[in-house]
Amino acid sequence: MIGAAIRKDVQLLLRDRGRLLSLFFLPVIFMIVFGSMFKFGPDQGAPRPVAMWSARDLTIPLGEGFTAQPMPSADAVRHAVAAGDTIAGLVVPATGPVELVIDLAGPIQVRGPIQGALTAAVMHAMAPPIPMPAMIEVKSPPGVARPLDDISSFQVTVPGNAVLFGFFLAMTVAMTFASERRTGTWKRLLAAPVPRWKALVGTLVPYIVIGCVQLTFLFGLGAFAFGMKVAGSLLGLVVLSFAVVLCAVALGLLFASVGGTEKQIGSTAPVVLLVMGLVGGCMFPRLLMPDFMMKLGHVVPHSWALDGYYDVLVRQGTSLADLAPSIGALLAFAGAFAALGLWRFRFE
Amino acid sequence: MLALRGLGKDYGDRTAVQALDLDVVRGEILGLLGPNGAGKTTTISMACGVVTPTRGTVAIGGVDLAKDPFTAKARLGLVPQDLAIFEDLSATENLNYFGALYGTRDVDWALDVVGLRDRAKEPVKRFSGGMKRRLNIACGLVHKPDLLVLDEPTVGVDPQSRNHIFETVKALHARGMTVIYTSHYMEEAEALCDRVAIIDHGAIVALGTVGELVARHAGKGIELELAGDLDAAVRAAEAHATVTRDGAVVRVEPKGHLAPVLAAIEATGATIARIESREATLETAFLALTGRTLRDA
Repeated sequence: MIGAAIRKDVQLLLRDRGRLLSLFFLPVIFMIVFGSMFKFGPDQGAPRPVAMWSARDLTIPLGEGFTAQPMPSADAVRHAVAAGDTIAGLVVPATGPVELVIDLAGPIQVRGPIQGALTAAVMHAMAPPIPMPAMIEVKSPPGVARPLDDISSFQVTVPGNAVLFGFFLAMTVAMTFASERRTGTWKRLLAAPVPRWKALVGTLVPYIVIGCVQLTFLFGLGAFAFGMKVAGSLLGLVVLSFAVVLCAVALGLLFASVGGTEKQIGSTAPVVLLVMGLVGGCMFPRLLMPDFMMKLGHVVPHSWALDGYYDVLVRQGTSLADLAPSIGALLAFAGAFAALGLWRFRFE
Repeated sequence: MLALRGLGKDYGDRTAVQALDLDVVRGEILGLLGPNGAGKTTTISMACGVVTPTRGTVAIGGVDLAKDPFTAKARLGLVPQDLAIFEDLSATENLNYFGALYGTRDVDWALDVVGLRDRAKEPVKRFSGGMKRRLNIACGLVHKPDLLVLDEPTVGVDPQSRNHIFETVKALHARGMTVIYTSHYMEEAEALCDRVAIIDHGAIVALGTVGELVARHAGKGIELELAGDLDAAVRAAEAHATVTRDGAVVRVEPKGHLAPVLAAIEATGATIARIESREATLETAFLALTGRTLRDA
């Protein structure tokens, strides 16, 4: 019976362009868009221009990520920054401090690193070189694995969108229950010589299969088309993804139990899923969120999934055991969603 | 083939079906008629194991549905009132899926029975309403059940498809299949059913062949369409006749002559807009038993 249900639901999915779009193609578009927006690590894109004018014979080495753009005057530097032609500018007067021209209204997340890097470059250029032993060594704390040396933006945007759209499976599951109730196919199922638990499982299992196919497709595409790497255990990635799918399907059961008709589910579930994705860091990295929002993220499974994906994709040597907190949390969420869903589920 | 004993269902304080006893004999077509909300669908749903009864038992082919649901359900095919099919799948794919629920299926036979063999591979969404209805029946048949339960199988179909469905049920009956058939079309019940059970307020109020029900409950009468104070007119008529009322239409069976009935009505100030002699039919029996016509009900 379960085999027939899987075949039937896969056939239905393949003929439903809307669902195919939302489960498989929309996340790819989001990955590409977000992957192009967030640049960090060695994958920084083209160096950013910094307008420069100097009244002194002083060379300021800007370092990686910046390129000097000489200007004819101090005012030209200021105008270039004001017009947005360059990200920042340096004006070196004949005497006195160097002027760092930058839009102070810019977000601190963007302005801070630029301001810091240029300040360091100026200080390095102006201070006399003094040979001294290394004073600072940057290291991860014990027990925290080193990240990959070449982290691309897709290491973050692929799992972010895979989790966001992976959880949209919950809406599909809920819609299936509502549709089967409306059309009467659920009634046929109950009239058949099939135990009720099997009727329920038979409706859910196809979506576990579809969810696994979806995440395999998205991570596969991320790896082969966008250069996403897996720094840790591949088995860990697989088990973590399976936990995400179980959690999404269990959430679908909960939606089906409390969601009502297809129309009601269609209007409420996307909002709930988007808010969960937003709070969980699928659209905006939680590391950049305020402390309160970072903590709040843990009330949704998305954040646990993303923490696990970040570890296994970015931190070298991450094992299946290292992912236990994320996998455990996802399974706990799945259990809670399933328990609540079963409690509220009406077979008749 | 089907035995219902003291079968009842409560939803909170409301009783949908009281304590219903019914035997469906192997090989017969039993019509189940009743106004909306009478308890037909709840009764059928309990008989098929879709709804759990509050009280009573169901036995299908001698097998207790509660004790051995899988054996009992395997003998039964349900055709719900709604189009319980997947419109994005083909007829064959639908039949394969629903047949798989029973572990056995004869897809070609089911397609032949409903005359859809030549459209078997097309997506159902391209079918006409009548063809979808026929496929709906085929999905209940695909495992060749001993007992087929059809809940309003001809609702919203064109006359040609209705005739096809009608002939299909007759053919299945001729092969020895037991059928329970609910319908809003009295002529279907009259023409198809060996026996008819009329349900009202969650109880069977009459059971028998069409002839028996008509003879017992549908005495010939006069149908009057009245205007004015209808309540007063009905009260006045009741002194001289058995009266049933459906809106402005009143059916009277005079205890003696008709003249005193008409005089009593006119004495109340009511006017008689139409007067018509009616033959005794299943429709009039239904009206007499439930106080409502089936289509209005």
